[in-house]
Amino acid sequence: MRKDNEFDVIIVGGGITGAGTARDCALRGLKVLLVERHDIATGATGRNHGLLHSGARYAVTDKESATECIEENMILRRIARHCVDETDGFFITLPEDDLAYQAKFVESCTAAGIRAEIIDPKEAIRLEPSVNPDLIGAVRVPDGSVDPFRLCSANMLDAKLHGAKILVYSEVTEFIKEGDTIRGVRVRDNRSGEISEYYAPVTVNAAGIWGHQIAAMAGANIGMFPAKGALLIFAHRVNSIVINRCRKPANADILVPGDTVCVIGTTSTKVPFEECDNMHVTPDEVDLLLTEGAKLAPALATTRILRAYAGVRPLVSADNDPSGRNISRGIVCLDHETRDGIKGFVSITGGKLMTYRLMGEQAADLVCKKLNINKKCETATLPLPGSEGGKTEEVSKKIWAVPSAPQKAAAGRAGTRAEVIPLKNPLDQALVCECEEVSSGEVRYALEHLEVDNLVDLRRRTRVGMGTCQGGLCACRAAGMIAEARGCAEKAEADLKGFMNERWKGMYPIAWGNTLREAEYTQWVYNYVIGLNEQ
Amino acid sequence: MEFDVVIIGGGLAGLTAGLALQEKGKRTAIVSAGQNALHFSSGAFGLLDAEDPLQAAKELPEHHPYARIGAENLPKYTEAAKALFGKAGIALNGEPLKNGWRLTPQGGLKRAWMTLPEVDIFPDKEAIKGHKVLIVNLLGYLDFNTSFLALGLEKQGCSCRIETLRLPEMERLRENPSEMRSVNIARVMDSAWIKVAAEIKTLVKDEDWIILPLVFGLKDATVPDRIREAVPAKVLFVGTMPPSVPGMRTQMQLKKAYEALGGTFLMGDEAISAKTEGSRVLSVSTRNLGEVKAAEFVLATGSYFSKGIASDMNHVFEPIFGADVLLDEGRSAWYDPDFFSPQAFLSYGVATDGQFRVLKDQAPMDNLHAIGSVLGGARSLELGCGAGVAILTALSVAETI
Repeated sequence: MRKDNEFDVIIVGGGITGAGTARDCALRGLKVLLVERHDIATGATGRNHGLLHSGARYAVTDKESATECIEENMILRRIARHCVDETDGFFITLPEDDLAYQAKFVESCTAAGIRAEIIDPKEAIRLEPSVNPDLIGAVRVPDGSVDPFRLCSANMLDAKLHGAKILVYSEVTEFIKEGDTIRGVRVRDNRSGEISEYYAPVTVNAAGIWGHQIAAMAGANIGMFPAKGALLIFAHRVNSIVINRCRKPANADILVPGDTVCVIGTTSTKVPFEECDNMHVTPDEVDLLLTEGAKLAPALATTRILRAYAGVRPLVSADNDPSGRNISRGIVCLDHETRDGIKGFVSITGGKLMTYRLMGEQAADLVCKKLNINKKCETATLPLPGSEGGKTEEVSKKIWAVPSAPQKAAAGRAGTRAEVIPLKNPLDQALVCECEEVSSGEVRYALEHLEVDNLVDLRRRTRVGMGTCQGGLCACRAAGMIAEARGCAEKAEADLKGFMNERWKGMYPIAWGNTLREAEYTQWVYNYVIGLNEQ
Repeated sequence: MEFDVVIIGGGLAGLTAGLALQEKGKRTAIVSAGQNALHFSSGAFGLLDAEDPLQAAKELPEHHPYARIGAENLPKYTEAAKALFGKAGIALNGEPLKNGWRLTPQGGLKRAWMTLPEVDIFPDKEAIKGHKVLIVNLLGYLDFNTSFLALGLEKQGCSCRIETLRLPEMERLRENPSEMRSVNIARVMDSAWIKVAAEIKTLVKDEDWIILPLVFGLKDATVPDRIREAVPAKVLFVGTMPPSVPGMRTQMQLKKAYEALGGTFLMGDEAISAKTEGSRVLSVSTRNLGEVKAAEFVLATGSYFSKGIASDMNHVFEPIFGADVLLDEGRSAWYDPDFFSPQAFLSYGVATDGQFRVLKDQAPMDNLHAIGSVLGGARSLELGCGAGVAILTALSVAETI
């Protein structure tokens, strides 16, 4: 009989790669443990464009990634439909760009299996009125947008439904080694400080950019390249079709619509590993993103910015490339036994949000090979929990017959899983967050069932505090609900202070206009009316 | 349209100035765009966050509005403020020359100068220690955090019990997901307060304090007192998340008193631009009325929230007159990365001379005075002087004009 702390596989990292690997392994019948030192989706998973890449961006420079992207793109439309918005995308050529590049671009897309159709600039303006009217060329590709938080949660949830154990706020402090074999991990609970040991014949390093340190801890060296990318979120959905520049990948050349907002990005700068834990967006980055962004859609220059944020791409180093733009976005799956002589240890890295499922598949294949298990991967065909139904409208009608606005909003976020969220009576439907239409029922459900430790975790799962007011009113309401649900007002109050600072971190780099106005109001409410600063 | 004085802005500063000027016999108008800082009032006015505010005012730098008024002049205006509000039917609690304390929604204490009638002001910190408290909320109301209030009070040595009332009168509100907000509840409570008082009587055991959210007395200012009379323990009303019920009622009361004195309150109108000649303002253009002329103009447009101060990527500016603004150069100097530290941008505002005459291109405008939170250099949040600056600069300028 196996002990509680013995597993078939231990996965380190709670981003989308770890989640995808955990789901794949769990679906193949393995007993899975996933450990994450913070919350799910805190690294690059939660800090990107949310672009459902068609692969077109890489078609010319990185064919392998381009092919992977388009295949995964088509798969995600089927298995993750409640996370995906099928918007399509344009690659536009501006007067300052070389129109000759377009032909090469279309040819490369076609070679990679990406549908790329040249359309008349006038037609492009008709289909996407926000696009820069000076464009001289446009190519239509199957880009889209994807909600990375939702995608990550759905993978975690499915892993759990198939028996996986997910431990958040649990940090690997040490590998348990026996000679040249990794037997397990020693893990510290970052909330209680308690140390536990877990054992498995295989450990998978899926820690993104932090995988560099995890590998080093195991005695292996992966030459990683931390490439910071900064992005801006705008308060309106300016465009309804993704807009890219038809040129070699450069700064701020993708504008992605998502939910009620749109996102411009990114920059690419190498940063020291020490900075990966605390990224700040600089005024220069903001200026660059705005100037370049307005070339894609001139309306951005006058649209309110909601937040600035930055993530770190977990690239694996190739040659000397100061920005990391030329490093392949391809998947790197390392068997450290053959590579470094360390048994029972695998790293899955490189790749992209788009190819997380394939990364999970490759890692799970390797794990199964090591365990002598012959099970096929099913993640390309089985829909994720929530994605078994059709469009939000149909899903919500099926659950509630005549759905209210908060019920529809919940179905938009949780898909068919909305049926397990208590949303029948008026008290459950009372809105906590007006901007994002998040109801009390959804908040209570997340607190009870979705491993929420604090307000930021709650935001990742429900979108509380992600709207135009950036938590101005809902943060206090949600903190009150956490205090009641957990019976600990002291922690909830400290948590509220942490949340206000987390929101402010994304606001101050873009604090002018309406954001400054919102900030003044929030300052007075929290630091004077309710006096949170004195507590 | 022509007036002796046109006041731009109908918040605390503008209304105070309007009342004082009407009393002096001036013919005035207030142009009010709508929202102002009274909408998120705590129910208390701050003069200066210091043990002895009038003494501490002497230490302020010269560009602080109190320094412009002159610390020696403050006492007469603080006395006048209480009297002026009294005449408008608002009996402020507290003493004009002293500070007390207000109970915050987090169960802590913040310095207060005077408070609106339903909000208690405590002379010292000891007054809130050791009580047996019954905190009563209304079912489904999320903007009154009972557990935080209890936590704070327990730290002060109180013991707390929390009860939630379910009133049939509120069912209709609850059915709409976004209706359970202070002002909507307060509308119901103008009549349903009787039920609340009756329910509390059955709930109270040995508690000596009952705490209710500030959702009473929106139209009928007497409701809080009537609850107090009906309940056999001391009833305290504690602030909620905005909108502020006592703040909105106070604005209505001040407006009514102003109109009773013959003032013209132009509700929902907004000053867009101004016509000037040399250092004189000839008129302002408003959205609804077009050109409005006057001998004197008062800028009481508030700060960012009320749009008296605006900003773009690289500038903070005053949008109507293009007045000089006190600020730091370079956007990264505007803020502190810590939300709970003083924020430089909050101190930015219009520059004036010693008489609050607005500076434009470093020269004073002859007939344009600025009052309240549109003024630069006040650091109102950090120093706890928001209402004090609004009221006292209004009274000072009203005397000058």
